[in-house]
Amino acid sequence: MAMEKTRLGDNSRVTTRELTLNMGPQHPATHGVLRLVLELDGETIVKCTPYVGYLHRGVEKHTEQLNYLQIIPHTDRLDYISSMANNIGYCVAVERLFGIKVPERAQYIRTIVAEVTRILSHLLWLGTHALDIGAMTVFLYCFREREKLQQLLERLCGARLTVSYTRIGGVKKDVDQQWLEDLYAFTEEFPMRIEQYETLIDKNRIWLKRTKGIGVITAEEAINMGLSGPVIRGSGVPYDVRKFMPYCVYDKVKWEVPTGKNGDIYDRYRVRMEEFRQSNSIIRQCIEQIPDGPIMADAPKFVLPPKDAVLTNMEQLIHHFVLITKGPMTAPEGEIYVATEVPKGELGFYIVSDGTGRPYRLRIRPPSFVHISALPRLCEGGLVADVIANIGSIDIVMGECDR
Amino acid sequence: MTTRELIKKILFIEIIKGLALTLKHFFSPAVTRQYPYKVKIEPPPGARALHALAKYETGKMKCVGCGLCSAICPTKCISIYTTEGEGHRKVVERYEIDTLRCVFCALCVEACPFGAIVLTPHFEYAGYDKGEFRYTKERLLDNWDRYMGPERGRDYFERFWVPKSRDFRGGG
Repeated sequence: MAMEKTRLGDNSRVTTRELTLNMGPQHPATHGVLRLVLELDGETIVKCTPYVGYLHRGVEKHTEQLNYLQIIPHTDRLDYISSMANNIGYCVAVERLFGIKVPERAQYIRTIVAEVTRILSHLLWLGTHALDIGAMTVFLYCFREREKLQQLLERLCGARLTVSYTRIGGVKKDVDQQWLEDLYAFTEEFPMRIEQYETLIDKNRIWLKRTKGIGVITAEEAINMGLSGPVIRGSGVPYDVRKFMPYCVYDKVKWEVPTGKNGDIYDRYRVRMEEFRQSNSIIRQCIEQIPDGPIMADAPKFVLPPKDAVLTNMEQLIHHFVLITKGPMTAPEGEIYVATEVPKGELGFYIVSDGTGRPYRLRIRPPSFVHISALPRLCEGGLVADVIANIGSIDIVMGECDR
Repeated sequence: MTTRELIKKILFIEIIKGLALTLKHFFSPAVTRQYPYKVKIEPPPGARALHALAKYETGKMKCVGCGLCSAICPTKCISIYTTEGEGHRKVVERYEIDTLRCVFCALCVEACPFGAIVLTPHFEYAGYDKGEFRYTKERLLDNWDRYMGPERGRDYFERFWVPKSRDFRGGG
């Protein structure tokens, strides 16, 4: 009895308080420069406050001084894992604003590269998410496939990561038959690879313990928070911009929107694994259906004239100079919001045009930013170790969040 | 829990399956490449890396100093200074690219009406101070001889100089 008294001491003098733990901005598992301030009661999180803005570059303001063509390399650097999807999102928004009709072949090429990017992004997500939770082998296997796809992208447009491939009114360069065949060969082999990843982690008891029933978000909450992409689909809401407001040729190929049930980390993981298969199938269908034809729209007021015409034709040369130096001067006035489905969720571009060659205002609605706002909801009441799993499961990229 | 599940749980079936997959990879050829010690990576043609200023086959510089490349450059890393030469002709006095600021978007290649600037696939250019990355006109012309040349240059313009119409037959 006497011993216990000395150990516990006099209760009136003992004070307990919550421990404030600073996580990030330099933390390998926060996927960038995300800072979280956690208030802990023991190991349970009472309060989680995310701080963003460590990677703020002022892209939105900067784009007001650039013409529409120059903004494309800047969109690469929003979500740098899936730069192709960002390019497409931006170009689709500008094309709808200008009223440009993109040729069929360019639409197909865009769909193919968008889905390649989705696979690339999900592969990186799967590798790093598994690495965070403790499965290292998956990371190595994922990067093996990533390398193949990135070499294909490099052959297509000359860059592996920051591609700048699409142009307003089409794409930069046509795909050749050999490239399509190589990609087709990849899609034939890829389902077997997905099975390999699943063999490693799908039923692994450690993986299940770390993911099942953790970070649960119900469908209603997910809708209220404005979540999108695999996060909302994991909660059972079949919301996909590609189905609801089709762009490119998503309405011409057969595919399904995979959804989860419980809205926990495991379901979000399952949704992304199914998206691998759907993307794979979309790519295959697109390669089978791709028609011949031009890859740039016939819109001389907005699209750079052909190079041979520039060299021989005075009017075209003048046109070329004006488009490069001033941008499309005859851009219609107005505003538009166009959402596209990037691998992380719904990426929106809101553009206000005042009729000059530059946007008056360009607002980006990044999925990562919205998803971070759901992080306190996911983490509070859980354990510190699950914060890492939660961050991984919402798949954030800070370049896009802070822009 | 059924008996079957219990047996699976006790015998670590799913873990053993995963380990078997990993074991299988011991005997398959490695996909990693020992760069730079054993393998030299050759980027595909059209890869966007170090800049060069193109020359005609006579050795004359193609660039006329119109300034379109520096106008379109999103990072403003190209600076051009021109003067008036003989017979009121424009002379490119200086042409400098700060490759540390360049984002390699290749918009300058697209903007140039003469096919005077190219991005070569040469990507291994390390240096000890920042000055080494400031490419002057002479160094850029030298890059053309080293990494492009007339043959590869013609091929480059035919394949990667965009946009072009269907009856396009090479630049310059």
